[in-house]
Amino acid sequence: MIYEIVHRTAYRYSAPVSQSQHLIHLAPRDMPRQTIHRHSLLIEPAPNTRTDRIDAFGNPVSILEIENEHFELVMHARSAVEVTARAELALDIGMPWEQLRSSVTQPRNCVDLDAAQYAVASPATIASQDIFAYAQASFTTDRPALAAVWDLTRRIYTDFTFDAAATDVATPVSQVFARRRGVCQDFAHLALTCCRAFGMPVRYVSGYLVTRPPEGTKKLQGADASHAWVSLWTPDTGWVDFDPTNNLIPDLEHIAFAVGREYRDIAPITGILVGGGHHIVDVGVDVIPIVV
Amino acid sequence: MTQSAARDPQYDRLLGYRRPDATYDELLDEQDRPRAHWQTFIDTFAGLTPREHAARAHRIDRQVRETGLVHDIFADPDRELAQWRLNLTPFVISASEWRWLERALDQRARLAAALLRDIYGSQRLMREGALPASMIFADPAFLRACQGIEPSDGLLQFCAFDIARGPDGNWRIIDTHAETPAGIGYAVANRVMLADVSDDLFTACGARRIATHFRQLQDALLSRNGQGDPAMAVLTPGPDHDDYFSHAYLARYLGVHLVEGGDLRVIGDHVYLKTLEGLKPVDGLIRCIEGARSDPLELDPGAFDGPVGLLNACRKTPTLCSNAIGTAIIENRGLGGYLPHLCRKLLGEDLMLCDAPRWWLGDSCARGHVDGRLDDMIIRRVREGTGRPGQAERGLLVSELPASERQTLLQDFAMRSAGLVAELPVGFGTMPRFGANGLEPQSVALRLFVGATKDGFNVMPGGVALAVDSSSAVALSASSGETHDVWVLADEPEKPHISLWSAQHYTARIDRAQRSLQSRVADNLFWLGRYLERADWTMRVIRSALTLRSQTHFGSSASIEAAEICLRLLLDKRVAGGSSKATFDNGAGVSPLAMALAANRDGPYSLQTSFAGIYRVASLTRDRLSHEAWRTLSIFQASERWHKLLDGGNASELKNEIEDKLAAIATFGGHMAESMTRNYGWSFLDMGRRLERAYNLSDALNALFANPKTSEVDAERLKYVLELADSFITYRSRYRVEPRLPLVLDLLLMDEANPRSIAYQIVRLSEHLTVLPLSNDGNNLPIERRTALELQTSVRLANADDLGGCVEDGVRRRLSSLLSRLVTELPRLSDAISRRYFRLADERPHRVSTRGGAG
Repeated sequence: MIYEIVHRTAYRYSAPVSQSQHLIHLAPRDMPRQTIHRHSLLIEPAPNTRTDRIDAFGNPVSILEIENEHFELVMHARSAVEVTARAELALDIGMPWEQLRSSVTQPRNCVDLDAAQYAVASPATIASQDIFAYAQASFTTDRPALAAVWDLTRRIYTDFTFDAAATDVATPVSQVFARRRGVCQDFAHLALTCCRAFGMPVRYVSGYLVTRPPEGTKKLQGADASHAWVSLWTPDTGWVDFDPTNNLIPDLEHIAFAVGREYRDIAPITGILVGGGHHIVDVGVDVIPIVV
Repeated sequence: MTQSAARDPQYDRLLGYRRPDATYDELLDEQDRPRAHWQTFIDTFAGLTPREHAARAHRIDRQVRETGLVHDIFADPDRELAQWRLNLTPFVISASEWRWLERALDQRARLAAALLRDIYGSQRLMREGALPASMIFADPAFLRACQGIEPSDGLLQFCAFDIARGPDGNWRIIDTHAETPAGIGYAVANRVMLADVSDDLFTACGARRIATHFRQLQDALLSRNGQGDPAMAVLTPGPDHDDYFSHAYLARYLGVHLVEGGDLRVIGDHVYLKTLEGLKPVDGLIRCIEGARSDPLELDPGAFDGPVGLLNACRKTPTLCSNAIGTAIIENRGLGGYLPHLCRKLLGEDLMLCDAPRWWLGDSCARGHVDGRLDDMIIRRVREGTGRPGQAERGLLVSELPASERQTLLQDFAMRSAGLVAELPVGFGTMPRFGANGLEPQSVALRLFVGATKDGFNVMPGGVALAVDSSSAVALSASSGETHDVWVLADEPEKPHISLWSAQHYTARIDRAQRSLQSRVADNLFWLGRYLERADWTMRVIRSALTLRSQTHFGSSASIEAAEICLRLLLDKRVAGGSSKATFDNGAGVSPLAMALAANRDGPYSLQTSFAGIYRVASLTRDRLSHEAWRTLSIFQASERWHKLLDGGNASELKNEIEDKLAAIATFGGHMAESMTRNYGWSFLDMGRRLERAYNLSDALNALFANPKTSEVDAERLKYVLELADSFITYRSRYRVEPRLPLVLDLLLMDEANPRSIAYQIVRLSEHLTVLPLSNDGNNLPIERRTALELQTSVRLANADDLGGCVEDGVRRRLSSLLSRLVTELPRLSDAISRRYFRLADERPHRVSTRGGAG
């Protein structure tokens, strides 16, 4: 399956911006089940400098700097990504979680650092006693790690309510847990917090989800959205995705863009401005299947 | 000395010092004999008279106070920070022991540098399991974004080690500091102060000087940041930081700028300093800000201690920051247990100096070792903030925990083990401190400093010895805040030293161009000038009122009335938007008004406000002021005595106090005139004073003479204002007649040769404005120069006789219109100067975050 993904972000400022610096994660990355065919990023006004590099988690990242006074900033990213179906998964067999924990967190073993770096809490995924207790129900003795995380995914889906008004980009996970409400980013952070409290190597995945219009209606332009889910590493399977917002194991309809410990590592656009006053932002995302 | 020496003479020779049992004592060996390397010191010290001891102790206390070390002026006053104190006795280290310590600390520094290179480079050690990966990954000081930034000469230029001597006489490391040159300024300050008070002892003992070490550091820093004359700066989080004193001191000692994040801007790959002349490139930063807080774009998004984009600039120029960003990871206390193995692996050497016994709880093997003997252990976090020596947290003594908290602790182990260590308390050695009863033992730890030079690491032959709480702590928790200088004895006499204060740090060439001035510093100096002059004027007004009150024969009703007018003028000034106006009954007398002006906390002209302003701004610009100038101004620090004096309402005590403070301002004026280089900084300081002086005198003249009174009243007012403006003697020497308005106006308003006149102030202002950068705005004169020129011209064109005459409707029209114009235009001139020169300082970047349609 090949998708054309268009992500357009426009900022309008009430006062002139005299200098802006942005860190952006808008380019998709190659993954085992994912190939990038095309990617372009158009920025208006054109930045004075643009540095493209690969960040510490392996994601393409750009640093932009605009020195000319401006009232508006538009970033227009277009990508074509091919996604292949995942292999069949046997969730109930495989390495028990205790053994997985030991293999990625204990010294004196040879470690896969790409997995180990995700096994400890990051700033936004520090567990409280309550969250630890909640997670404990999924991490029962000798349970295979995949089964434990799948169980946790389903429990979060069942116990929590999707509510875009309940949280914002900075709501801490403890509050999400207390109110039992949030959006994909919050559920992903909660799942990560639970898993890392038990030493599981899990990472945050940001990307897009193909949405299907109700039967008989035309899909609206810009109606798709960024999405977030989590991924668990085991030595036998590599990275396996879990989507607690939708209670499923992602396959052909999830397109990953970047991975990190948490949202902040890979926020699509982070900007620091001099001037600018207030701003309004307009975001439109389209995910269009181009080969069915 | 032999054992048969009689007890009493021994006692006298040691000023009553006795060695505590069961610790290693620095001064006395097991037979209670002074160790050889202490002999000279103790003999010389004990040879001083008790009076001399007391005098030296007093002088050193005063120095600590006046240097500004004594406390953190900007720190939250409710926070109990131990006061910094320096004891008369140094910690003496023998040449042979120092040789060993030097080698051991050099090895530790090399090991730290090698570890950093691996952690931010190939990460082979973690991959192989020699370095616990989850310890590093769980530590917020590990900054992933810095991976791959590898300066060719290493990431570590400064580090410091806290070491303690156990009862067995062996040293152990209790903490490593690798984030910033933590506390090195304190070590220098202690040395400067003690050497000043006890130079004779220092010389007699043959202790080593530290200037050579700093010159080597300077050379190394300059050469790693470019050829010739690179622009260097110490980057500090600002005066709110615990260690600010140290940063300012270091900047001054090294002769480089002291800058804050807001002073810098990154454009493209380069860092620039916001100066009066615009943006100036910066080649190297001595980083005194936390790594994680040094770039809001890529690191902690809420921290603006460094300029936006600093990290990306470091990618282009890895040597830009010293230390490199991210070095704090090496401070993790959990590393200790792994170091012996790592040292062999990385350096092929046995570790000479180990950490205090510590176990990282993230390691299940270590946990097994700890769980069985928890009651002996102290639980601590793997890291805490760096900065001022002595402020380490105490840790949790497990045996003292109630059962419930113990349970919580064990749960914490399960969830947060990667961030905790368990440690066994180590003992501390003792050394003599000089106290009320002579010499007494004191538990201490040392902080020693290591710096990178062109020939590898170099250990500073000196340091800070800190009084510690021997019972509870492993790290440096100093409850008393008492410190000692550290004297390292030389093997052979040292070559004549050159202090850095006078040293040239790069190949000398004649260069009178001034260092560029940060917009922020210019702003502060300008306000220092204004506050000083404002305080000077207010004190003169108060003093004149109090004098008149006490000299009834002199204090005619007319001059008392004049004093009252001037007092009310100042009392009635409001901050823009200020509200409530205190009211004073007419006829209440001048004393209550004078006391109110001294004691009020709000009005912009109250003494409290001006003094606080002077002290605050002087502290902010401390690195620009000479030691003497700063010391002169430290008198304006709010003291308990001053508050008591105000509460007591004793007029004559207040007068005495005012005399002292007027003298301090005059002294500072002397420093300014005689010792400050005529650079831009001086211009702003002087402009502030000129502007304020012109304004105050215009305001007072207007209030006193706009409306003509009887000739007797006017005569008294003229005398009064001549006194106030410090021009009575000049008038007397010029004119043999009683004061007359045209003559006084000529002297105080128009005479450009009288340094107290309004004309003089405006001429000086104009001159400053002409030489400042950006003083030409294309073909037009910039607004502030035009304003100054207009004022200057209207004062020059005025005619003293006309001003004194021309009465219409009971008003001296011409005088009043000229003075009113000055009173209105001078504040506008001040605003215009701010807008032109301090604008860059106001540009603060801010962050935008948006959740772009999350699913």
